This record gives sequence, C-alpha cells and structure tokens, in this order.
Amino acid sequence: MNEKSSLNLDLILQRCRPHDSKPVNVLQTLLAVQDELGHVPQEAVPEIARTLEVTEAEIAGVLSYYPDLRTRPTGRHRIRVCTGESCVANHSDRVLAALRKKLGITLDQTTRDGRFTLERVSCVGNCAVSPTVIVDDQVHGRVRPADLPQLLQEFR
Amino acid sequence: MVMTRLYLSNDTSARAAGVDRLARAWEGTAGLELVRTSSRGAFFLEPLVERETPEGRIGWPNAAPADLPRILAGKGGIPVAQIPFLAQQTRVTFANFGLTQPLSAEEYVAHGGGEGLDRARALSPEGIIRELKTSGLRGRGGAAFPVWNKWQVARDTQAERKYVVANADEGDAGTYCDRMIMEGEPFRLLEGMLICALAIGADTGYIYCRQEYPAAARTLQAAIEEAEEDGMFDLKSGHFRLEVLVGAGSYVCGEETALLESLEGRRGVVRAKPPYPAVSGLYGQPTIVSNVLTFATVPSILARGGKWYAAKGTERSKGTLALQIGGRVKQPGLVEVPFGLTLQEVLDRFGGGMAPGARFKAVQVGGPLGSLFPSSRLDIPICYDAFAEAGAILGHGGIVVYDDETDMVELARHFMAFTADESCGKCTPCRIGSVRGHEILERIQAGHGRPGDLELLADLGETMKTASLCALGGRAPYPVLTAIEHFGDEFRRGARG
Repeated sequence: MNEKSSLNLDLILQRCRPHDSKPVNVLQTLLAVQDELGHVPQEAVPEIARTLEVTEAEIAGVLSYYPDLRTRPTGRHRIRVCTGESCVANHSDRVLAALRKKLGITLDQTTRDGRFTLERVSCVGNCAVSPTVIVDDQVHGRVRPADLPQLLQEFR
Repeated sequence: MVMTRLYLSNDTSARAAGVDRLARAWEGTAGLELVRTSSRGAFFLEPLVERETPEGRIGWPNAAPADLPRILAGKGGIPVAQIPFLAQQTRVTFANFGLTQPLSAEEYVAHGGGEGLDRARALSPEGIIRELKTSGLRGRGGAAFPVWNKWQVARDTQAERKYVVANADEGDAGTYCDRMIMEGEPFRLLEGMLICALAIGADTGYIYCRQEYPAAARTLQAAIEEAEEDGMFDLKSGHFRLEVLVGAGSYVCGEETALLESLEGRRGVVRAKPPYPAVSGLYGQPTIVSNVLTFATVPSILARGGKWYAAKGTERSKGTLALQIGGRVKQPGLVEVPFGLTLQEVLDRFGGGMAPGARFKAVQVGGPLGSLFPSSRLDIPICYDAFAEAGAILGHGGIVVYDDETDMVELARHFMAFTADESCGKCTPCRIGSVRGHEILERIQAGHGRPGDLELLADLGETMKTASLCALGGRAPYPVLTAIEHFGDEFRRGARG
C-alpha cells in the first residue's frame, strides 16, 4: 500500500469503528475498503482487524468467502460475462470464447497492458435481453460475438 | 411552443437493449421532453418509445434514433394496451409499470400508492394479519410459506426489538422481477415493509440488495430519502428506520438464514432451523425475511382486500404470480398472471414461440435449482400443488427455454459446478456431494464415464435431497436428474466409458 491508500484506509476505518448504536460489520467494512481502493490488500487485514476489534481470522474468513471481495487489483476495466441460465441458453459461451480469443486471456486474468480483466458473473437479472456482457458499470444486452470490438472500443 | 413528451424506460434491461442511445441522440431536441419511467416488462419490444394520447399510450417498439421524425409525426405507433403480450396479463403488483417515474412519490400516490399503508394504519395489527390470511399470499421467493403465519409468529414473540428484512438477493438465474420493482416502483417495496412493521411491531428494517444490482440499490436509497422527507416512516409506534445493505456476490445469501449472517457482516453460512427467523433472526431478534416481490404484493392486498386477491388463481395457489420468461424465446419478458395456466399456455401465449431459427429442447422453471421439462410435459398447471406433485418448484418464477443446440451433459455439469461454487460448506451433503457430482459429470462429458455412474448420480442426488440443510443442496440434484431422466441418451453416450 502506498501512503495515499493507507491514509484513505484510516478514514474508512474511522467510520466503521464499533460504537454503541452500531455493531461491527466486517462485510460492509471490507466493501467500503474495496470501494475506496479497488480491492482489499492482504496487508490491510491486521489493521482492519485491530480497528474492528475482531480477530484477523475473522476478517480473512469473510474476505475469502465472498466472490466479489478481491485481494488483488483488477485491470482498468472489468469485463463480466453472465453465465446465468438465460445467457447460457442464448449461447453466452460463444461470447466468452470470442472475448478470450480477442483479449488473449482466460477467466480471472488481466491483459498484459492492464486494460481489461475478464470475469464471469452468475446472472445479473438482465435475462430478457441476454446474453449479457458488463463492462465496468455498463450493461449490454443481446450481445453477439461480432459486437465485441465496438463495445470495447471506448474503454482505453 | 407545444412540448411533445416521450416516455422511455429507465430499467437496466431496457438500457442494456439500447434505450440510452435514443435518449442521448434526442436530448436537447427543441420541443421534446424525455420522461424516464419504469419498464412494461415487455423487453423484446425495447427500446420502446411511448406517447400519451387521449386514447391512451401509443408505442413504437424496437425504436432506433432515426425514428424520431416518425414518432413526432405520430406515424406507425401501436396502442400499447392492445399489445397481446400485455393485454393478456392480470397486472396487480406490476399494474403501474411503464407508466410512472420510479422516484416520483407524487405519481406513485396518483396511481394508488399509499392506499395499502393508509388502510393498514387504520387497522389493528391483528386486522392486518387477518387480511393477509384471507388473501392466501404465500412467500414468492421460493419457499411459498404462508405470509400471515410468519407475521403472526413474529407478532406473538416478545422481544426488545423486531426487524423487517427484504430479501433483495435475487440470485436465481432467469429472474428479474425484484430488480424491476426496486428500479421501477421502489415505494411499493417500502410500503409493503412498513405494513409488515405495523403488523409485527418492528422499528427497524433492512433491504439486503445483491451487488449485481447497483441501479436498484441507488434507486432504493433515493426512494428512502424521499419517503423520509415525506414522513412515510413515522408510524404511530415511533420512527421506522430503513437501510439498504449491499451483498458481495454469494448466491446462498438468498437463503434467509445465510442472508441474516451476511447482514450481520459474517460469512453467509446457513443456520440450522429451528429457530426460525420469525422467532430468532437478525441479532437473535424476531425478524420477518421476505422476498421483494412478496412485500411489493402486500400494499395491493391491503388496499383492495384479501378477498379480492384470493379470488384470483386456484384453490390453493391464490392470487397472481410474476413469471419471468427468458432463454431462446421470441418474446422474453415479465408476465403477471393468476396461478393456473399451464406451462404450455404461458409459453405459447406470452413467449410467442422460439427465437428465429431455434428449436425447442427443454424449459427450466424455478432458477438454477429448478427441474427441466421436455416438450411432452408442458401441460403442467402453474401452481404450487401441481409443481410439488411433479417434484418441481416454481421458485421465484423464472422460466428459461433452451434450444436444441444445448448440450444437456454440459448443462448438467454447469448446474453442479454452480452448486459446488456456491455451497456455503456448512453441511456435508451439499459441500461434498456437489463436488463429487461435478466430478462424475465431468468424466461423463469427457467420455470416460464408468458403468453405474448414472445410478451413482441418482443415489448421490437422493442423499443431497434428503440430508442437506437448505434448498441449495436439497434442490441441486433436480435439474441434473431431470436432465438425465428426459435426455438420458446424451448421458449414456458418455457414461459407457
């Protein structure tokens, strides 16, 4: 962690400290840290544990349980391909294969230039216009492999 | 200058289908006002542009930016109310969808919002619960437990504090009606939760919203602030505090006890029941955990009476059900109908047949834990009893249609891999069973199946069904075993070894 991120971490943890009206919430604390830093660095675990007055094991347990909590930074843009049943029925596997080929990476990898990280997601409730590809916060529906180049163009 | 007002949906799926492209292209056009509403749920028509006329709304389906002159000239539109997909529905919970702006409390009230809460305020807690009992409403998240019964138990349990929790962890693949409610008519959810708070005597509520629904969480947050300003949360018994908490991608957190663990900030591991949450839930206090759709149905029941609601549907499945059609059909979208239509009728009447070039192979009802039906079994009525009898579930109302290019072994493997990924690990049948099941399916897929593998899967399935702690392990075998039952040849090809 650099100086700036450890400063930010201090600020977040201030807000998450246990007090009378609000019991400690490990998950929400970790989500707040991730919102700020993009991921939850392993080396932040002891400090988070100290502030919340819980064991490091408790933090590590929650951190490893939830798929959306990340301990490593992602690329500048996250591409998520939905593998929910409606997307599967609409052959999202073909979209995923095209993305792998185009980016030269497989799931949970980041392109060498740090531009994209490729992930899958289990249903985002966009089933009526599936298959779905999400780039950062942009949800795209009815995606065909041929749409991908244009879809990714604006993300540098 | 006369302003022309065009209505566009702001729903995530409508936006994913390209509505924003139209909005961006048309913004700033002189004499044009764009109003962003909830979605009709007829997603196959999105981007759908609507205009108000004295005869009702006129719509331009699948519109493109270049269609603006045509729309402004009033040419080529169709009366929205006459679109068969919409005209054949019985909309109760989704009656206002496509009409109103999600965050306008004024429009909500103008369309009947708040009447249920007003009625509840005039009733005693027992009176509210009686109305729900008359309505026959059962939990719409999947468990289908009588709602009044839960509320009665929470009401009768003495405690320092009681909670109302909305399960907005709509994780079942193929379902999106909760997302539509949260994005489209958030006040309806708030109203349902407040009625519950009045009935059980709760002063605090939480909405546990899945991380995959950022727009829903934002809309709810804004709706809560708006409702707070309007004094909606001031109950006779005191102030009701409501908060949105976001999850972190765990499917099993849609199970009510895992959800409570997650709300408390821990690993979302399932708790053994009893005690049920209505007796001992969040922080050990009586808690009503209900699905978003369930809460959102309550205001209509209070406003128009339990009897009115119970008159719809069948003898033991009363009211309406929100079905969500997806997969390889021509007309995917939200369908609210009374219980009792057959699966075939729903697919024909609303699904509109297969997508161009696709041929039907199977349909799955009830999410990733739901059974598969081949074309010969589509005469099943959509109601709790018929589905229970068939060993199937309605779940949260998701219907996904697969075409004949679908590889059933791969699909079965996908289901088991999903359970292995998502198992919380608390009980052995689910934790180990899903991994072993996945291994067997992998070797069948690779053509290295051993003699007896299909029997082994069936046996493993029985163990998981009877001995798992929650529905994840208990239901996981169903899609796999029904795939084997109806498409056995595909499995036997790989199982010969």
